[in-house]
Amino acid sequence: MDKIDAERQRIAALPFDKALSEFRQVVEKLEAGNLPLEDSIALFEQGVLFQRRCEKMLSEAELRFQRLVESAGGKVRALDLSVGEGDEPPA
Amino acid sequence: MRPFEPLLPAEEPRRAEAAASLPILTVAEVTQLVKGALRAAPRLRDVWVEGEVGQVSISAAGHCYFTLKDEKAQIKCVIFRDDRLMMPFEARTGLRLVAQGNIDIFDAQGVYQLYVRTLQPSGFGDLALRFEALKAKLQAEGLFDPARKRKLPAYPQTIGVVTSLQGAALHDIRRVLARRWPMARVIVSACQVQGAPAAPTIVAALRRVARWTDDETGRATDVVILARGGGSLEDLWPFNEESVVRAVAAHPCPIVVGVGHETDVTLAEFAADIRAATPSVAAELVVPARSDEQARVEGYASRLHGATSRALSDRRSVLNNEKRALEANHPKAQLAAERERIGVLLDRAARVIARRLEIDRAMTERAGEQLPALAATRIGIARAELNRQSASLSALGPYATLERGYSIVRGPDGTVLRDARNVKSGDSVSVRLHRGELDAWVESVRDSRS
Repeated sequence: MDKIDAERQRIAALPFDKALSEFRQVVEKLEAGNLPLEDSIALFEQGVLFQRRCEKMLSEAELRFQRLVESAGGKVRALDLSVGEGDEPPA
Repeated sequence: MRPFEPLLPAEEPRRAEAAASLPILTVAEVTQLVKGALRAAPRLRDVWVEGEVGQVSISAAGHCYFTLKDEKAQIKCVIFRDDRLMMPFEARTGLRLVAQGNIDIFDAQGVYQLYVRTLQPSGFGDLALRFEALKAKLQAEGLFDPARKRKLPAYPQTIGVVTSLQGAALHDIRRVLARRWPMARVIVSACQVQGAPAAPTIVAALRRVARWTDDETGRATDVVILARGGGSLEDLWPFNEESVVRAVAAHPCPIVVGVGHETDVTLAEFAADIRAATPSVAAELVVPARSDEQARVEGYASRLHGATSRALSDRRSVLNNEKRALEANHPKAQLAAERERIGVLLDRAARVIARRLEIDRAMTERAGEQLPALAATRIGIARAELNRQSASLSALGPYATLERGYSIVRGPDGTVLRDARNVKSGDSVSVRLHRGELDAWVESVRDSRS
């Protein structure tokens, strides 16, 4: 149970490209066949999680828009940027 | 002696050959030849021409026609409508200009023309020279080498954008990214993009992006866009500065440069991993299209379901086989199997017996068939003899005598009476007639001698 939950959480946090490529691998493994029944079912369940992850990202994502600012120590940080924010002369 | 040697016919083909090798071309063919020669000349494909603008006219279609002239010559120039509308600068009579474009033939009028792509005020000539000189130098260094070009990541998570916060370029990029790939994180590194002081700010902004990493993941940007909207060559000049071009070439991330309009070319673009015609195109190039990816996910999903149901149906048939094997081992099944086995044995036995019976019957029948021939007559004879014997027997038998009127009398002990003295008066006797019997009493006994 814990293992399944952990996998669920891992997939739910995957970036799109990782989720997509793992999804593809699962599909290809299933298509290759010759798997024990339990493995087929486990792969299917995993595949559905990848599918959900990808679809969720595609449908719900909202562009994150930030700008870089340089602090006195030279450290570069990203801060959220609202539309129309004025230009700042570089330090 | 060759009086009939046909001299004339031999000469005729020669004349025909001469006519064939003497080319008479159509006007269009000549024009095509000149056009081919012009187009084959590399110097004429991209020329910068400085001169004074003569007559200017704008056609109904919106194309601009003018002449560029100096003391010795003039050239007809054309700016097509779309290019003209994009140009920050208009040709006006009396101006000294530098026009850039290619030389080609306008077939219909039989004239050669400069097809203008960019137009700059004179004095720009210095810039153009610097441009060409720097281009040659950096090219020689291999900065624009195609082998240096890096591939863009297919699915960038973080995109660095180096541009002005106020320009249209940033707005365009944001719009495209929000539409195509909203799961991206965009990090803008602001710089100036206009005029001479811009170059160092561009270099600084590029370096800032290169130094940034995400606090949590430690990841840098996956790809960087350097962009600016359209402008004159002077406006765009910072993107031709050596420091900027080198910063682009040296950037640790794959970098897309989209500066100006379609026709503008800057050296920073040559140094980029990918050159985009405009800032919007740059944004399009760095991310996949959401709709494509949606279709891809749907495709995988349907393959997932297909493969799974196939796997299950395979399993089901395997399972059915196993179930069958299992059922075969069940005690009841074993009994049934045993019964079946016995049944089979019985069947076999019955068949064997039946076959044997059949053989026997066949043999009997065959024997029976042979019988009449041997015995029929003998049986017939026997039967006739028997009939005759029984007839004589009945003729000889006591009952036949009774038929003739005789009777048989039996005494009380059942013995046939032959002598009257064997009974006394009062004895009961039975009398057997031809039909029926009589029970009678003896009244008196008379001796035959008396």
